[in-house]
Amino acid sequence: MIEHAYLIPLIPFFASFVMLFGGKEDPHSPMPWVGIGAMGVCLAIAVSIFWAAATGSVALPYEHNWHWFSLATSVAGRSFVYDMPVGVLIDGPAAVTLVVVTLVSLMVQVYSVAYMHGDIRFKRYFAFVSFFTAAMLGLVASSNLLVTFACWELMGLSSYLLIGFWFEREGPCEAQKKAFMTTKLGDSGLYLALLLIFAKVGSFQLSQIYQFFDKGLMPATIATIIGIGILVGAAGKSAQAPLFIWLPDAMEGPTPGSALIHAATMVAAGILLVSKTYFVFLASPTAMESAAWMGLITAFLAASMALVSYDIKRVLAFSTVSQLGFMMCALGVGGFTSGLFHLTTHAFFKALLFLGAGSIIHSVHTNDMRLMGGLSKKMPITFLTMLTAILAISGVPGLSGYYSKDMILANVWNHDHMMFWILLFTALMTAFYMFRLFFLTFWGDDRDHEKFHHAHESPALITGPLVVLAILSAFAGAGLNSNGLVYKLIAKPTLSVMAEPAAAPAHAPAAKEEPSTHEPLAHAAAAEPAAAVSEHAAVHEGGGHGTHPEGHLPGWLHMTAIALVFGSIMLAFFLYRGPAYPVADAIKANMGPLFTLLERRWYFDDFFYGLVALSDKAAALAFWIDANVVDRVFVDGWGLLARIFAQISDAFDNLFVDSAVDGVGGIGNDLGVGLRSLVTAGQVQEYLMYAAIAFSLAATLILTR
Amino acid sequence: MIEHIVFYSLSTLVLAAAVCVVTMKNTVHSSLFLGLSLAGVAGLFAALGADFLFAAQIMVYVSGIAVLIIFSVMILGRASDLHLRQVNEQWMAAILICVVSSAGLLKIAGAYRGTLALTVAKPGTHEIGRLFMGDWLLPFELISLVLAAALLGAVFFSRSEASR
Amino acid sequence: MTLAHYMTVAALLFLIGIFGALTRRNIIGILMSIELMFNAANINLAAFDRFLHPEGVAGTTLALFIMTVAAAEVVVGLALLLAIYRNTDTAYVEDYNLLKG
Repeated sequence: MIEHAYLIPLIPFFASFVMLFGGKEDPHSPMPWVGIGAMGVCLAIAVSIFWAAATGSVALPYEHNWHWFSLATSVAGRSFVYDMPVGVLIDGPAAVTLVVVTLVSLMVQVYSVAYMHGDIRFKRYFAFVSFFTAAMLGLVASSNLLVTFACWELMGLSSYLLIGFWFEREGPCEAQKKAFMTTKLGDSGLYLALLLIFAKVGSFQLSQIYQFFDKGLMPATIATIIGIGILVGAAGKSAQAPLFIWLPDAMEGPTPGSALIHAATMVAAGILLVSKTYFVFLASPTAMESAAWMGLITAFLAASMALVSYDIKRVLAFSTVSQLGFMMCALGVGGFTSGLFHLTTHAFFKALLFLGAGSIIHSVHTNDMRLMGGLSKKMPITFLTMLTAILAISGVPGLSGYYSKDMILANVWNHDHMMFWILLFTALMTAFYMFRLFFLTFWGDDRDHEKFHHAHESPALITGPLVVLAILSAFAGAGLNSNGLVYKLIAKPTLSVMAEPAAAPAHAPAAKEEPSTHEPLAHAAAAEPAAAVSEHAAVHEGGGHGTHPEGHLPGWLHMTAIALVFGSIMLAFFLYRGPAYPVADAIKANMGPLFTLLERRWYFDDFFYGLVALSDKAAALAFWIDANVVDRVFVDGWGLLARIFAQISDAFDNLFVDSAVDGVGGIGNDLGVGLRSLVTAGQVQEYLMYAAIAFSLAATLILTR
Repeated sequence: MIEHIVFYSLSTLVLAAAVCVVTMKNTVHSSLFLGLSLAGVAGLFAALGADFLFAAQIMVYVSGIAVLIIFSVMILGRASDLHLRQVNEQWMAAILICVVSSAGLLKIAGAYRGTLALTVAKPGTHEIGRLFMGDWLLPFELISLVLAAALLGAVFFSRSEASR
Repeated sequence: MTLAHYMTVAALLFLIGIFGALTRRNIIGILMSIELMFNAANINLAAFDRFLHPEGVAGTTLALFIMTVAAAEVVVGLALLLAIYRNTDTAYVEDYNLLKG
């Protein structure tokens, strides 16, 4: 089945065009089922690929390329032939991600049939969702960085279209522009990285680039610049600091669209790209460290901003940014497996959270949590599924989020203790604000009787996907973690130039094989499950970090962390369980300027708007200079010179040329008048005389010859 | 010998008479001298052996045209005109023209200095008649038309006002 | 006598005729000068006939034609002259200036 992997991006692509151009725009159109059917097929293929990869029946990485075009050119006298192939490259992370993306997209589309019911652009929405999914799948499966970049840009387009779906209102229009421009700013860094890669390596094929890095042919500074470029691109797309400003505003779009794009899949693209090009970061410790710090700062800032939001979707948006920071930080400290594992589990529970929020909003017709309360009685399915997701994201043991977050914390502890404490504090904040959301929304008594009265459970098409995602949020983590499957599938790549003999792991209690072959991008570093606690990981760290036993935190720290999590959940309970929250209001009043800082999103928005205003003024100045200085001096001055010259030549013309012409005419005139006077006398003998003169001349001239 | 005397005397006569024609103040004298000159020309024709031409010259010119001119002069002439100048003011230019033209004409004439009459002149009246009625019939008829037209025109023009 | 003699005579007569045509004030004087010119041509023709084409009479015949035309011309001219004389009462050419301007 893996040989049909190329179909996975193509099927939704065609489905989106069929839906876009086929049929009329109709609020109850049956076209969405085309997209849902297409996505079902893709899910089936993706699951079969995953199953084959998990059971080991297919060798990864699987690559198949077709010839796309050839360039023959000569640069500076040297001729140059380049064949650009296009194809699929399925490795472990790709196999997992394909399942995640197709599954979440399918759930979102089924959900949207009920959620977007009756919208005037019903059919178009599904076309956009399918188109986006096709682009994302293309990015995941592509073997060629250029195609990856193209899919990256297409996702930016889809995000723009979906954020501004209700473009009659001001809010979505501003938000879509902000999203597009911010991600474009990041894309410029990525583009620079791609150019450098091509200039140095001469190919866009990921496998060939890996070979290049594997042999250590890339100088360290160039690798750092490439790494920074990729990080800038990832910062734009995955909403890291400072380019995260677009994600909270992107909540103007339809909620299921937000669930798919801004929670589970598109924002993960940056993380995926870093993982695909992980060899760059292995070759450049500076870039790795930058990634870690960028992720850490993002996670912390975003969690702090989520504490003060009362819009349910905004809290979830900040939560997304924070969790993406977690993932980036994990990748940055060398925890390749943990970062991508968290990406998988996060996709499930974040999509569930957004869809559940959509269900709530659909029911009570408001985003404001201060007007909600006691919805557990009215919306039981939503209540239970959201609870599952919130437990998962908070890292409560047993659910999927716990496994992945714990793995990340372990990696970070082994890297740097200070980072660990900041990250732990962020995890505690996460638990706190998620349970704050939970208690405000579902617990206790209602705050707005009118809305509560009209609240009702959502239809089956909405609650069905919620249930599916809840099951996955609960068990996917444990499932992937069992038998070290996640380490087998998502194995960290290494560079053979950097593998030292001392890098052999000698301490893991489990026996595992040292990778002796240098297969690109996947090592069979399978870890045997030694104990029930399957957090042992025999993953090499690249660079000069040496090796540490990874997998789990020291016992005491582990227990402390879990206790602190429960503590923050309790804190949230005590603060927000009742209809009114006086203690919270008192804290807010006392926080003062700190509160304003958090509410203004650490002034990042104002910073960027200030930059735009500055460039506006600079442009105005440039225009002023052009209009008043350049135009005056060069254009008008030239015109003045031309006019003076024209006047001079006019005078010359009148004075000399015209008088010469008149003179010639005058001569003609005088000659005519003079000659006429010869024959005006009317004397015939005079005329005869002229004839005689002519005769005499003729006689002499001819006859005397 | 005889030839020379005849030629020179006749030439002198013709030229002298012509000079008198163009210089005489009295128009009647002018016309008489014209008749004399024409007669001299007839004599030159005879010296050339063109007998019919000689006769025609006498009959047409001398006794026709010259007489006609004498009559016209008589009609037009006034006694007060006898002492007026008959030559206008451009006579010097005319003399100049004549002198200049004579250069060419006399040069051409001099080209035939050696041409002599090699045969005896024979009467050619028969031949003239043959030509008129033969090769040159058309010109002959046209000439008669011209004469008729001239005759009619003269009659027409000289009718007086009263008889129109 | 050579042809040159006769041609000289003819030429001189012709020139005298031209002189007369250019200078005579009286219109009949002009007519008479024109007659002289005709005669000069006739002399030339007769001389050519005698000296250059002795067996033919073409020159003489042409001279006859000229003579006829000259006669007709004199007739018409005099008739015109009489008509003009009746109108203008002068026979001097310098008074015939209606073409003036």
